[in-house]
Amino acid sequence: MDTYDWLLFLHVLGAFLVLGGAVLAGVFNFAALRRERPSEIAMLFKFARVGVVSIGIGMVLTIVFGLWLVHHVGYGWGQTWIVLALVLWVLANALGGIGGSREKKTRELAERLAAEGDAPSAELTARLRDPVWLGLSWGSGIVILVILALMIWKPGT
Amino acid sequence: MMVALVRPDSWNLPLFLHVLGATVLVGAIAATVLIAVRAPALRRLLVRTIGFLVLPAWVLMRFAGQWIDSRENVPGDPAWLGVGFIVGDAGLVLLVVMALIAWWGVRRPERRWPVRAVAVISGLYLIALFVAMWAMTTKPD
Repeated sequence: MDTYDWLLFLHVLGAFLVLGGAVLAGVFNFAALRRERPSEIAMLFKFARVGVVSIGIGMVLTIVFGLWLVHHVGYGWGQTWIVLALVLWVLANALGGIGGSREKKTRELAERLAAEGDAPSAELTARLRDPVWLGLSWGSGIVILVILALMIWKPGT
Repeated sequence: MMVALVRPDSWNLPLFLHVLGATVLVGAIAATVLIAVRAPALRRLLVRTIGFLVLPAWVLMRFAGQWIDSRENVPGDPAWLGVGFIVGDAGLVLLVVMALIAWWGVRRPERRWPVRAVAVISGLYLIALFVAMWAMTTKPD
């Protein structure tokens, strides 16, 4: 295996961690939407954090080894697909970061309610169905899919 | 090296669907492992994750893989392609067995072995998926 193979493998591994992590987090976030007991919701959000950590590691791998690949292969830095991918990578991080902070507050509320009697709460249900949080999460996922499409079609090469 | 970088346009859609299916499969299998190991009481969520995510993702990954294989017409029988076929095709048997065991676990909530079996099978398959990903990305001789 040469340098290119290793760089590509680590870049693709990053993409798998990002997309796989998003699916994993989505499974538990979606399951949490269907629950009412704060203790169950808190547990599901704790599991979703595994996906969030995977996304974070994957994002670092994709950008580090992606930039290294561009340099190694000799793609032009101004090519459409590279510029778009970098802009969208920043956008996905921003959307995910804002959505993640809202998710953290919801998890903390669920943990507090679980410790205070574990009774269903209208506030928690409203937070779980918050359209802004859902929009940020889904938006971030769609941006990541667009980046994947750019990596494959490479428009402007 | 440049051969790998220059790809006919007609390969792009099947490759996109193949990678999309594989990434969803990895995430769904990881969720299955997590539920089976850390929350064995959530048996219905386990079955739903396998039925609504793992199996459809496998179908997308495998059929898109066959589609691109028919376009690419890889000469000979390289090891990396063999690894992909083994993990894909043998994986279906494992996944179907795992789905049946998980379903049995919902029907018999007093028994612990079904969830433990799902944890072992899904854990092993997750490792196999990463091995296949390494083989298909680096294409070793």
